[in-house]
Amino acid sequence: MKSISLYEEKGTMLNRTAPESKLCYILAAVAVPALTGNRWAGIAFTVCSLVLLLAGRVLRKALPMAAVSGFVLLTVVVIQGMFRAGNATPVFSAGPVVFYREGLSYALHIVCNIMNILLGFCVLVLTTKPSDLIENLVRRGFSPRFGYVFVSVFQIIPQMTETMSTITDAQRSRGMETEGSLFTRIKAFIPLISPVVMSSLVNTRERALALEARGFASRRKKTFLNEETKTAADRYIQIVCLLMTAAALVWRIAAWLT
Amino acid sequence: MSEIRIEKLHFSYGMHSEVLKGLDFTIDERSTAIVGQNGAGKTTFVKLLKGLLRPSSGRILLDGKDIALSTAAGLAARIGMVFQNPNDQIFKNTVLDEVMFGPLQIGMSWEEAHKRSMDALSMTGLQDLEEKNPYDMGLSARKLIAVASVLAMHTDIVIFDEPTIAQDYVGKERIKRIIRELRREGRTVITIIHDMDFVAEVFERVIVFADGKMLLDDSAARVFADRKALEAACLEQPNVTRLCRELGYEGVFLDVEELVEKIRPLMGKNTDESK
Repeated sequence: MKSISLYEEKGTMLNRTAPESKLCYILAAVAVPALTGNRWAGIAFTVCSLVLLLAGRVLRKALPMAAVSGFVLLTVVVIQGMFRAGNATPVFSAGPVVFYREGLSYALHIVCNIMNILLGFCVLVLTTKPSDLIENLVRRGFSPRFGYVFVSVFQIIPQMTETMSTITDAQRSRGMETEGSLFTRIKAFIPLISPVVMSSLVNTRERALALEARGFASRRKKTFLNEETKTAADRYIQIVCLLMTAAALVWRIAAWLT
Repeated sequence: MSEIRIEKLHFSYGMHSEVLKGLDFTIDERSTAIVGQNGAGKTTFVKLLKGLLRPSSGRILLDGKDIALSTAAGLAARIGMVFQNPNDQIFKNTVLDEVMFGPLQIGMSWEEAHKRSMDALSMTGLQDLEEKNPYDMGLSARKLIAVASVLAMHTDIVIFDEPTIAQDYVGKERIKRIIRELRREGRTVITIIHDMDFVAEVFERVIVFADGKMLLDDSAARVFADRKALEAACLEQPNVTRLCRELGYEGVFLDVEELVEKIRPLMGKNTDESK
């Protein structure tokens, strides 16, 4: 079965780091620049994320994501650079098109923020097995019910894709054309989608029964199948990240009060 | 009578895992069972026959014509296939509509489709249930609906993928009758199956797949006599055959009647008393 998760086990330090530490890191990376309003903080976190991704050997996988958002960001730079209200100081011009300092500076701010958030999340998503993340959160008191819902998404979507292809085969075998013009495809929709929906409903019920038969709703304290992913450094990472966030928050409040 | 000729057939999913490693044989009028361990390539093979997959190399000729030239939907009028899981195909609200879907798709008139469907329903023992909703019926009944919906298409070639799954004795007997009936009408029957007792009783020819290759291809009696080869393919002999082997009888017995005929005279007195 194909996985829809972007995670890849590479046995690196980042793989072994506890998912919560990475969550704390994202919190700090997003909150500190936002609270302090300091552009350099954002840039510092972006660089830090890049270094982490490089160390985790997943930078290559992060690049396509950055490239896609980079394309959108490019339009932001162009539009803001040319047309932002309050544009006054021309920086350079390409033919009749003039770019202004104020707009470019604002656009740069947006670019930094988005890249920072994107890469911060990449650190988590590319190096963490979804089920490890959920399991650790459940250990910390997160509801197992919701935990299951999140994990099952990663199983159910590939499973539905597979069911869909079997069903397509079954209907093609009965003489139904599924390829060709738009009209052919629309006609094929009902015979394809109804078995998918019906079988997912049936599967869901069976799965619920199977879970219940294994004591899913039991109120007893549960143990976990997998060992917790964490390293000695985790506690410090979490403390540092939370402290940074708290410090930024205090600074913000102090700035308001004075 | 259709003839399917398989020539140097290779198939792989992706770059590395070759599933079929060169198959070369002809499927004739004999009812044929394809057996083998899970992952031996049986389902992949029938999907290729049905045009759902395309060979990596080699050809499949249906009456001399390469099937690669037609689409799966185009082949539907010649080759019918009953999938393992009936839930993969059922989508209509009544049994009759479900069964009539295929025949109408391959261009039969409504009257003909209706007639063929009613015939197929009576063959599968589902007559009088044609107005029921398939989803209100159990798995074994739904499987029979899937069988009926392919029979109604009246194809020269009928492929079954595990027809006996979820069937009780009555259901199995019914499928046995259907296969024999198709054979009598001169239609080619190909079946993937794990139930060796069923194979021994019903099929004339048995092809054993192992690891993407054909290990044995012979009459049921000869194949089931070759215990070593069966073991190599991780298969068991049918129960009757095993019993006779353990009892030390010469020859290979394929069904209970054969065995009874052989041992009744030996039992002599006892059986007479029981009568």
